Amino acid sequence: MAVSSRTTLASLSGVKKRFGATVALDGLDLQVRAGELLSVLGPNGAGKTTAIAILLGLQQADAGEARLFGRSPHDLAARRGVGVMMQEVQLPDALRVGDLIRQVSAYYPEPLSFAEAVARAGVEKLVNRPYIKLSGGQKRQAQFALAICGRPRLLFLDEPTTGLDVTARETMWATVRGLVKDGVSIVLTTHYIEEAEALADRVVVMAKGRSIAEGTVKDIRALVVRKRVDCATATDAAAIEAWPNVTAVVRDGAHISITTTDAEGVVRRLLAADKALSDLEVRRAGLSEAFAELTSEPAAEEVAA
Amino acid sequence: MTDLTVPAMPLARIVRAYISDAAFESLRLFRTPAFSIPILAMPLIFYSLFGVVLNGKATHIPDVANFMFVGWTVYGVMGPGLFGFGILVAVERNMGLLTFKRALPMPTGAYLAAKLLMAYVFASVVMAMLVGLAVSVGHVTLPALVLARMALAMSFGVIPACAVGLFIGSYAPASSAAAFANITYLGMAFLSGLFFPLSGFLHDIRWIWPTYHLSQIARAAGGLPSEGQPLTHVATLAGMTAVLIALAARKLSRKG
Repeated sequence: MAVSSRTTLASLSGVKKRFGATVALDGLDLQVRAGELLSVLGPNGAGKTTAIAILLGLQQADAGEARLFGRSPHDLAARRGVGVMMQEVQLPDALRVGDLIRQVSAYYPEPLSFAEAVARAGVEKLVNRPYIKLSGGQKRQAQFALAICGRPRLLFLDEPTTGLDVTARETMWATVRGLVKDGVSIVLTTHYIEEAEALADRVVVMAKGRSIAEGTVKDIRALVVRKRVDCATATDAAAIEAWPNVTAVVRDGAHISITTTDAEGVVRRLLAADKALSDLEVRRAGLSEAFAELTSEPAAEEVAA
Repeated sequence: MTDLTVPAMPLARIVRAYISDAAFESLRLFRTPAFSIPILAMPLIFYSLFGVVLNGKATHIPDVANFMFVGWTVYGVMGPGLFGFGILVAVERNMGLLTFKRALPMPTGAYLAAKLLMAYVFASVVMAMLVGLAVSVGHVTLPALVLARMALAMSFGVIPACAVGLFIGSYAPASSAAAFANITYLGMAFLSGLFFPLSGFLHDIRWIWPTYHLSQIARAAGGLPSEGQPLTHVATLAGMTAVLIALAARKLSRKG
């Protein structure tokens, strides 16, 4: 099925929200389509968490409309299709992980079986442990189990892998991929760009309460003209930094890393300046660099250009 | 299944969700010594000590024995609701648990219903222990049926206790909710004449305390001498409950 013809499960249309003098959302449009993993990226204060809170009915938009399964997010029936993993939440300390899974499962019409929820979240070893005795990473795993146990059609994951070790993170990624394969839609907010790069079908980049770029990971990368030039050279880093269209230079021993909007020009000058230059490599910027460029302040951008 | 359909929740599963929430709320508080020990042990210890031991031979007088039994049982019944709502609502509001639960499809009112049922569970345990103490060492000689009727009457005290607690929990910051709840609890018990007869000004204003009305209801249910009409006491408690809940709801709906 073509992406454009997919049903929209959740949407924000022209949503505005301010807290006192601070504008959190400034006319945000956002669509979550059936079966996709949408990653919402943006610097702190971009409005990601507020956007999710409005989609979940936790906050009221000042203007615009939020829809969840074609209903108001305040509608209990809409939230029965949703699983949530929030960033700042503490759960009842004295309950065991198994108790919590059973308690949350009871809110949903057709939850996963207990055994399946436990297995999919990879929390077999935590089931009989009181929540308070868990490490930070184990708490995230338990919260992930609570997010998926209701067999939701739409899953909100806010910074899910913070504090996880590599194995736990791989397990969670594998489960997330499996869920998407089963047709679950996922909204992932993350600070780990590589996480979005590894998992997302579509990326929305937010800044200052608006969506500033939207598309596949490849689309977003292509929006960005910056490239990375790496090589081993004796040319002085400070001198290179003064060349036109160079945004950043990092030296590491003999190696030097240059970020530029004019890779061809920089390579020509590098070769002219140092005949002994070796290990030359030119790459398109990763999502990380794209993200930095898209969300940087206009003033800084002018200085860099 | 059309694209935007979410499976409907059958009534049986909604009922199950309420029951499971209440069961897990009770379970976690039984497992939390900071809650369960004071709530369950204090009435037992205070009744043994102040109601039985320190009164010595006076407890052989049926009026004294019954007075002590009613007073300490009313005290014990009010505890779980008052602290369950008073401290926990304030703390859970603070720690983001309420926000998480609001994002979940938890049935409307299940959060408060679970706490109310939890308070009943704890109050029932407290009453069973105090009745046992009353008939074994407390020199209370009322027939079992009368005691059961009194216990049933007193169990309704859980509701106004929850309302007082909810009021405190909605207004007090998490850090000081426990202090407010304790002051209210002890003040309400002593100033309503649960443990010793009042006189003067305190006697004149005893009707402002829910504990006073509950003790009179309990005495009437047990056929003991009581002040006023039981129905007036019930109506007063219902009115107090409604006002406190309305004030709490106003605060919670504004700030959550």
